[in-house]
Amino acid sequence: MTPIARLSGASLGSRVTDMDLAVSPQSCVVFVGKNGAGKSTVLQLLAGLLAPTRGSAELSGRPIGELGERQRAGLAAWLPQRPQVEGTLTAREVVGLARFRFDEGMEASSRVAEAHLAHVGARHLTDQRLDSMSGGEAQRVLLAALRAQEAPLLLVDEPANHLDPLAQVHTYQALGELWHNEGATLCLVTHDLRLCQLLGPAERVLVVGVAAGRITWQLPLSAPELPLELEHLYGVPFAPSESPGGLGIAVDRLEPARP
Amino acid sequence: MKKASGALRFALLILLLVAVSALALFWRLPENASSFVLWQLRAPRLLVGVLAGSQLALVGAAYQTLFRNPLAEASTLGTTAGAALGALLSLTLDLRGVGAFAATSVFSFAGATIASLFLLHVAASARARLEEVLLAGVAITLATSAVAQTVQALTDPDRLFSATMWSLGQLPQVGFERVSAGLVPVLAATALLLRRRRALGAMLLGEQWARSVGVPTRRVRLEVLLASCLGVSVIVALCGPIAFVGLIVPHLARPLVRGQAQALLPVSALLGASFLTLSDLCARHLLPARELPVGALTAAFGAPLLLWIIAHRPRTLG
Repeated sequence: MTPIARLSGASLGSRVTDMDLAVSPQSCVVFVGKNGAGKSTVLQLLAGLLAPTRGSAELSGRPIGELGERQRAGLAAWLPQRPQVEGTLTAREVVGLARFRFDEGMEASSRVAEAHLAHVGARHLTDQRLDSMSGGEAQRVLLAALRAQEAPLLLVDEPANHLDPLAQVHTYQALGELWHNEGATLCLVTHDLRLCQLLGPAERVLVVGVAAGRITWQLPLSAPELPLELEHLYGVPFAPSESPGGLGIAVDRLEPARP
Repeated sequence: MKKASGALRFALLILLLVAVSALALFWRLPENASSFVLWQLRAPRLLVGVLAGSQLALVGAAYQTLFRNPLAEASTLGTTAGAALGALLSLTLDLRGVGAFAATSVFSFAGATIASLFLLHVAASARARLEEVLLAGVAITLATSAVAQTVQALTDPDRLFSATMWSLGQLPQVGFERVSAGLVPVLAATALLLRRRRALGAMLLGEQWARSVGVPTRRVRLEVLLASCLGVSVIVALCGPIAFVGLIVPHLARPLVRGQAQALLPVSALLGASFLTLSDLCARHLLPARELPVGALTAAFGAPLLLWIIAHRPRTLG
């Protein structure tokens, strides 16, 4: 089967070095690694927002550089880590604008936007301005925008950053529904593998460790050796997957600060 | 309901423009005035006002969205200054008639485009710092004004007077011939800018997000800048540099387009036409028997607003 996204020997400055990666359709790939390891850059390479200086990046078997903007937007949708929410755009407008690639009038976009907002439980936010919403509400709207683009590959960068616990859970459940129930392919950057257990069956979630712009290992979320690899990656201990609070930081093995 | 309120808004704006136009045509029209005054003096001037006002406001709205900066407009980013320098150079060439207007427009467009390419270069190299784009605009304006003053100093006194009057910015007393020569490029620029209003709306959520949903941002940026240069340069060739219309009007238009960011461009254009026509009416009748340059009047409104925006920094760009 042709990978839905592929990097072959892709490098970009010092951020990503000689990276090989093949994402198969309807899979779920989670990138973990320290800040500055190059995780977000990998997503931007796959979204075609950055071009590799060496090697190649492909979507559905075609080099991204050869795709038109709309074509590319039809293959991959991207949810940035901290979207710039400027101006007076309402939820309806944001979700409608995510359908830019479709040749449809603004009226039609607006109707589709309503349906997508209702689907993610944000009907009440339809005519509210994005800059007046809480972080959790805005994230819900942006998830609706991600759906509305109707691309098979979803590239999502730290979606639960800055959200309260309930909004974090909602966000991961919504992403899990897109992947596991609706057949989307999901590439996710996160530090929180506990939440990733909400996405769907752990043995089908592939965790990719990234350090200094290179892939250092790939393991399913259910692999028993995962906590040890995370410890090597981040330099802090992680609780075993099967324990309560599994794959979170093992606080009991750390020294608290002394007064 | 939403659709109806949008249509109502446009109807009211058009009504406002019709009312302002009627005032401009018939206010203090002498009892015994010939149809010449009405049709050969006032009507073309009204048309210039409508064209210039809508174009400058439209460009201001497009720039503020494109550069995501509430202070961006043709006159703060150096486009007007570049156009004015080009036009001034052609005015010293002693050409006459419609050919002269065409030459002035071409020179003006060249000046505006060179200034904008400088700006684009700065914007591309300092993508993260939008303030730097504004500083570049200020630098371009200062540099071109220095050159313009040198040109004026070297020009012979006869022509200097008309060049100085022109550089204040005013709606000219010109015939339909010259106005209609400017009509085609201005309408073309308007159509280009309005066509890109959806792409500009998406760019409010960041250039990268816009690209990710399929907006060809580089092409949009170039198209919007070139269309703006075209529109602004023709208006500058006709009226001289009229500042602040593009700054004020989009801020007046924003409360009218809450929740419909894509309406900002057409609403600004309509409102700009009324705004400049009304300003010109004030400029004509404020002092008895003397006429103020309308550019001085819009600057008198605009400069305090500019200061207010700097002090309050509204984050409302939509």
